[in-house]
Amino acid sequence: MEPLLRAENVAKRFESGGAFGSRQEVRALAGVTFSIFPRTTLAVVGPSGSGKSTLALCLACLEPVSSGRIWFARTEVTALDAEGQRAIRPSIQMVFQDPASSLNPRMSALELVSEPLNIHKRFDKPERRDRACDLLQRVGLPREKAAHRPDEFSGGQRQRIAIARALALEPKLLILDEALSALDCSVQAQMANLLIDLQASLGLTYVFITHDLAMAAHLADEIAVMERGQMVEMGAAWSVVNAPQHAVTRRLLLAAPGVCHSALEPQAV
Amino acid sequence: MRQRRQILGWLLVLGALHVLVACAGFFAPYDPVQQDREHPYLPPMRVHVADERGHLHLPPFFYAVRVREGSVNQFDEDTGKAFPLGFLTTGARYRLLGFLPCRLHLFGTEGARLYLLGSDGFGRDQFSRILYGGQVSLLSGLLGAGCTLFMGAIIGAVAGFYGGWRDVLLMRLAELFLALPWLYLLFALRAFLPLAVSPLKAFLVVIVVLATVGWARPARLVRAVVLSAKERDFVRAARGFGASNGYLLRRHIAPETSSVLLTQAAILIPQFVLAEMTLSFLGLGIPEPAPSWGNLLASLQQYSVLVSYWWMYLPAVAIVPFFVGYQGFANALNLHVAADKIEEKRGVPS
Amino acid sequence: MNYFLRRLLQGVLLLIGVSFLTFLFSTLAPGNYLDEMRLNPQISSATLAALRSQYQLDRPLPIRYARWMNSIAHGELGYSFAYNSAVAPLLWVRARNTLLLTITATLLAWGLALPLGIWSAERRGGLPDRALSWATSTLLVIPDLVLGLGLLILTARSAWFPTGGLVSVAFENLSPLRKLSDLLMHMALPVTALVLSALPILIRHIRAAMVEVLGAPHLRAAAAHGIPHRKLLYGYALRAAANPLIALFGFSVGTLLSGSLLVEIIMSWPGIGPLLLEAILARDLYVVIGGVLFSTVFLVAGNFLADLLLYWADPRIRTTAGAR
Repeated sequence: MEPLLRAENVAKRFESGGAFGSRQEVRALAGVTFSIFPRTTLAVVGPSGSGKSTLALCLACLEPVSSGRIWFARTEVTALDAEGQRAIRPSIQMVFQDPASSLNPRMSALELVSEPLNIHKRFDKPERRDRACDLLQRVGLPREKAAHRPDEFSGGQRQRIAIARALALEPKLLILDEALSALDCSVQAQMANLLIDLQASLGLTYVFITHDLAMAAHLADEIAVMERGQMVEMGAAWSVVNAPQHAVTRRLLLAAPGVCHSALEPQAV
Repeated sequence: MRQRRQILGWLLVLGALHVLVACAGFFAPYDPVQQDREHPYLPPMRVHVADERGHLHLPPFFYAVRVREGSVNQFDEDTGKAFPLGFLTTGARYRLLGFLPCRLHLFGTEGARLYLLGSDGFGRDQFSRILYGGQVSLLSGLLGAGCTLFMGAIIGAVAGFYGGWRDVLLMRLAELFLALPWLYLLFALRAFLPLAVSPLKAFLVVIVVLATVGWARPARLVRAVVLSAKERDFVRAARGFGASNGYLLRRHIAPETSSVLLTQAAILIPQFVLAEMTLSFLGLGIPEPAPSWGNLLASLQQYSVLVSYWWMYLPAVAIVPFFVGYQGFANALNLHVAADKIEEKRGVPS
Repeated sequence: MNYFLRRLLQGVLLLIGVSFLTFLFSTLAPGNYLDEMRLNPQISSATLAALRSQYQLDRPLPIRYARWMNSIAHGELGYSFAYNSAVAPLLWVRARNTLLLTITATLLAWGLALPLGIWSAERRGGLPDRALSWATSTLLVIPDLVLGLGLLILTARSAWFPTGGLVSVAFENLSPLRKLSDLLMHMALPVTALVLSALPILIRHIRAAMVEVLGAPHLRAAAAHGIPHRKLLYGYALRAAANPLIALFGFSVGTLLSGSLLVEIIMSWPGIGPLLLEAILARDLYVVIGGVLFSTVFLVAGNFLADLLLYWADPRIRTTAGAR
């Protein structure tokens, strides 16, 4: 089977410092290589500062890579110009960590979810509204609250809006950057189940970024471990959790309470 | 919600004041340039409802005034003849709001002129002149502030959104402008433009000068807002949907600047009205015979006027209610913005 | 030290930029002001020709600018056509008079505002605080044009203070003591106007800074340790509130030359203000440019002074500046 997404030696450097001060270079990503297969979930875990979020932004084409290549379904994304990137964007969507900042507080839930459709001018206006309402329902939000603004929803509900919005353009790949980390534990469980349902019904592929190894173990087929911009370990979820190779993985395992190794079954790819 | 009511309250006050001035033609009994050389420097005249014997008369009336025997500037009321006030009378022609020709006045007189706030050296009615003068001064302030905010917003948005050399260049330029003491910059700019021009041209010159002096601070503030808005996740998300730069600026970033621009407007408008007053007072702004609050005060530069004719000071007082209104509005806005930010973060508990 | 050298350099660059900017604006002036001078019979054609060649007024902007910078190096700051002399000496004399006024007013204003601000911060919410707040709000809505003219009218009718000029006509014949009192009498009105317009802003800022500090936990801890009230207020609270106040002070210093412009003109005080106005009306543009530059120097110097004082007063700045 062909991988949906392939990254080869992706590196990202940030430069900071002004004209008079010292110029500092931060290597956020230092040569990351991996592949993701369709309809699977890849969890990317690691301590803070390991470059997970930068990887997410690069995969979503929101940050240009400094070097390396990324392929999405046989198209080399990193070689595309602005127009080409714009054409491919509907297929790769992202859900951010903090819905309070990823949702424009001045827009209603309906407006937020239909915004991607408006930008791409898909369908006519009434149909956009219907589709947005459907999406809101699909993520479990009551129809009556469609006209409400984000501050009238709870954190979990806001994240549902963000997910509904990300699904508007019918993407194949969904990148979730710490999407559940800001939520309460009980809400996290609900959301995780929602994500699993959506993946089954819509055939989505997830890249799930988190620092919580327990959540990764629950959701993912494969786990990749990052440290300081490099991928130090990658493999099936079951084997990473039960037979960790790298010291970082072992440390993360120790920090993740309640990871039930035996309950995990190796999943067919 | 209390903040909303406060803001509305102040807006109402400001609105009433502006309507009063905008409809100067209606509220003023006389034409502001109409002279009466027989009656220069008359003190404010009183309106009576009861005559000397204590009998009530309606409508209210006033007496003509004549010079006291043996003095030059002491006046007495001539109780022989009483002139009644007419309400909603037809009088001098004017253009309501600048284009509707009209002749209706709130009140007027027949036979003699009622100088509610006294007359100036040419016998012109100060009350009418103050109302009309307000039109010029307020309009300069409003237009000047509008232009400056427009310029500042665009420059700040470009600097903040695109960054790079544009940002560095524009912000260095803004620093230069901010380093200059603004009154000096105002004078210097005015100095470098032609001095003796027609009232209309002078009006435009004043607005251009005001706009050039004031753009730097709004530009900086807008740039700060744009910089922080640019990094917000919802802008990133919109970019992720394939939105163009123009869409981002228009739909997501511009609304964020609205509160900054509104507060700046509330601060700048009275400052600019004052700047126009200052320029006109010194002879650098709107020239005679067009009235402006500033040039109405210009006669006070003569010592004799200063000592003897205190009512010539009244145009200066006219700006105070506007200052009060705009300051109150700006304070209420600040409170509203602060309260909004707290609400946004908290949201609704799950 | 590095920090200050950098700030100094930035200040100098700023001044150069400002001078260029004002010079650039002066090119907007239509026509050649020597043409206007030709109408003035007092200036001979020989002087005109000499001036024209010296200032090369028909030459393009960069050359004029270079010549003007050259005249700065010679301490001249350009030439005043109306006064027939170099600009710098004119400005010095007037600046001295302006500074006399503004330094007195600034010292008085701070001297009144500090105790009033601290006192009202201490008794916040109480009647004296609210009364003071009401008074400052009232003063704030009265612009200095209105204030100056109002004061002038009040005193003109009562003849308590002279209403114009630096000194009386018979100044030279007075004894030193009387000279001083004469000067002070003439200063009274403009200084009052300046103090009244500066006071509300100062009081508000001082009060705000103090209120913020007085509510801070570390101050309450100090009080709990039994530190006497006086010492708490002046030793601890005032020092903690120093940062915004020092910036405010820098601003006060910066406006020493520019804040009194209007008051001087209204009250006929022979400072930079009336000189500037005359120069504008007479199209004596080098004086205008020189005046603008002079007052900008003060603004930049005021900011630099604030930086110096902040560095000395706030140890946190010392460490971050040193770490760079």
